[in-house]
Amino acid sequence: MNINEKVISSIPSKCLGCKQCELICSYLHEKSYSPRLARIKVVHFVDKGLSVPVTCAYCDQPVCEEVCPVGAMTHNPVTGAARVKEELCIGCKECVNACPLGAVDMHPLKGVALRCDLCDGDPACVKYCPVKALKYEPLYIGVKSKRRSRVEAWHLE
Amino acid sequence: MYNNTGDILHVDLNKKTWWKEFVKKDDLLLYLGGRGISAKILWDLVKPGTDPLGPENILIFGAGLLSGSAAPSSGRTTVTCLSPATGLYMKTSAGGYWGGELKYAGYGHIVIHGRSDKPVYLWIDDANVEIRDASSLWGMDVRTADAAIKAELEDDDIQVSVIGQAGENLVRFASVMFSVYNAAGRCGAGAVMGSKNLKAIAVRGSGAVTAAKPERFHEVVMQTRENLLRESGIEGLRLYGTAGSLNAVNELRIFPAYNFQRSCVDDVYPLSGQCLIDEGYLKRRVSCFSCVIGCHRFTTIDRGVYAGTYSGGPEYESLGALGAGCGIMETEPVIKANELCNIYGMDTISAGSVIQWAMECFEKGVIGPEDLDGEELHWGNAVAVHKMIKQIAFREGFGDVLADGVKRAAERIGKNSYQWAVEAKGLEQSRVDTRSAKGYALAFAVNPRGADHLHTETFAEFGLSPESRALIKKITGDEKYASPRLTEKRAEIVRWHEDCFAVTDCLGFCAFSTTALYGVTPQAMAELFSAFTGFDINEAEIMEAGRRIVTMERCYNVRLGETRKEDTLPWRLMNESTPDLSGGNTVNSQEELDQMLDQYYDLHDWDRATACPRWEVLIRLRLRDVAKELADLGLLVKPF
Repeated sequence: MNINEKVISSIPSKCLGCKQCELICSYLHEKSYSPRLARIKVVHFVDKGLSVPVTCAYCDQPVCEEVCPVGAMTHNPVTGAARVKEELCIGCKECVNACPLGAVDMHPLKGVALRCDLCDGDPACVKYCPVKALKYEPLYIGVKSKRRSRVEAWHLE
Repeated sequence: MYNNTGDILHVDLNKKTWWKEFVKKDDLLLYLGGRGISAKILWDLVKPGTDPLGPENILIFGAGLLSGSAAPSSGRTTVTCLSPATGLYMKTSAGGYWGGELKYAGYGHIVIHGRSDKPVYLWIDDANVEIRDASSLWGMDVRTADAAIKAELEDDDIQVSVIGQAGENLVRFASVMFSVYNAAGRCGAGAVMGSKNLKAIAVRGSGAVTAAKPERFHEVVMQTRENLLRESGIEGLRLYGTAGSLNAVNELRIFPAYNFQRSCVDDVYPLSGQCLIDEGYLKRRVSCFSCVIGCHRFTTIDRGVYAGTYSGGPEYESLGALGAGCGIMETEPVIKANELCNIYGMDTISAGSVIQWAMECFEKGVIGPEDLDGEELHWGNAVAVHKMIKQIAFREGFGDVLADGVKRAAERIGKNSYQWAVEAKGLEQSRVDTRSAKGYALAFAVNPRGADHLHTETFAEFGLSPESRALIKKITGDEKYASPRLTEKRAEIVRWHEDCFAVTDCLGFCAFSTTALYGVTPQAMAELFSAFTGFDINEAEIMEAGRRIVTMERCYNVRLGETRKEDTLPWRLMNESTPDLSGGNTVNSQEELDQMLDQYYDLHDWDRATACPRWEVLIRLRLRDVAKELADLGLLVKPF
């Protein structure tokens, strides 16, 4: 992985839990609206008013790809974007079980793996989040601002 | 046509059976969905003479037509039945995530018939419908029951609508709670649910919602989203919540305090959305399903006597009713009172209203400590308020009197206490002082469910934003009518808002997106309806459908015997002013109201004396069956 590569990250304190990311993801990939069809999932604790979007983390060692017995879980070596070769997928769910983040799911209608493809480099979930609770940026920038806001919270004068 | 409206699921709790009904194309075009179709079902099935808390009343849950889609702020659900508070037509609605989930399960409406002999809850798992035993859930508060159901069904993402103890004990302003903290609060739908021994409806939907013309629908969704996000008021509403407007509302002297004896408070800050943030009570901002605004709050109290308190809200109305109305000007006791109302499952507006009425009774010596288990129910006594909320939910002590609503309580206590029972048609009024807002005054008077703002939100009459001034100009032809003390053109303003609100409710939109912010326009709603259903209708036609629904709701009350004389306002707001108001009409006089009512009925072409829609109007609106039934009952003259 290139150290300047971009990743999707979420800021739970900003997330409203509106599910626009799920709904727009679902529409753009499937022409239909359903959280089940979305490649990003909002984890929701309604009694605590807490929502956290979770999606593929683009692991350096993608176990979903490693465990796939038929080579259906792949990514583009040039752009890095993931692709599920649906014609190869046999629906064995090894990838779903292997993913430690719960970011891979099954497509409810097609019975094949469902994984974030980064919308070919312009993820719609990030673009359309109404409060910018999702970011798509090189990791080092995200970490930098996290460091900065933490230090700022110390109120040093 | 793609069947994306969702079916109507009927459940008979007497026979423990259920069946499905398809929504007919004609009904879809005439009544749009959600609230409209529910109103039609209620008209057909619940006739005059029905006991609201008897098994013959039905309880209708209607998801918005567009709920489940990405249309911004379209996830609201309407609950409709004969109201145990007013004995009249009622609809009440809630946000949360339940409506979208119901659509994903394949349903648009649920109609509950009859009464179960023991506590049950309904479990809808896509096509599978199950009536399950709820004896272990009976007696639980809303939050506990929600968690228990999720544990029993082994899925934390199930969406639940549920009643608390208030609903079980038939408190006439018990709410149905959705997604834990979203209340369908007004008019006592929770008591109807309780009367049916129905604790909850749990839903899991794994399907999808697809527009008939997906590309066109998506295009309008994205435009509408951008419109809404460009609104001048959206940032403030998200940042500070509904209580962010409190400063302005207090300045305008329309913020009732001490049971409407005052029209503002000296220091509104402790009750404001700004204070919730500054003092660290606000933990997170929360959206309902598909909403890009995010006005809902999640608050906690971490220290002090109220440590451990957590809940959704408090919202503007709750801070007004449980705070200023009761003379409580501190933040924490109001956050606590809000939590109690939410978990017992009762309307914060009515709960606050009945308690402040009792406080005034106490201050005037009409009731004493001997009526209140020794409590001194003085203004601002937060401990007594919290105790009373619990007593209402469990119908203990004086709480049993208050649990029937302020109208019945005043009838029982007597001694002129009706004069400070701030209700109309039996519904406790929401927190706007209509003495300084004449559009609201007219809207509240003609509201079929009683004096409140959720059939017609005429906030635009204050002209506080460029968008609201533009709307007033669109309706009346001149921006100068954005002036709340004027009575001129209020009929026109109210009618537009009624129609728009009905369409809003049918499609599942939040009134904040259509009549507080204005980013979701009637034209956009017509375009969304067309692309979603595949049946093209324009702005005029969708607004006419709104008018049809409003008219049908009016006719429902006419059939129950309502006439013009019930279109009135609370006694206090018709007869007393406050020290905070000055200059001109600071009371809603009968003369002034009559003038506005005449204009309003004329505009609708309704009969001035009976407030009943004329035969011709009903025929024009394609409500022939309604017209015939009213004529047969002798309530309407059929021309020959």
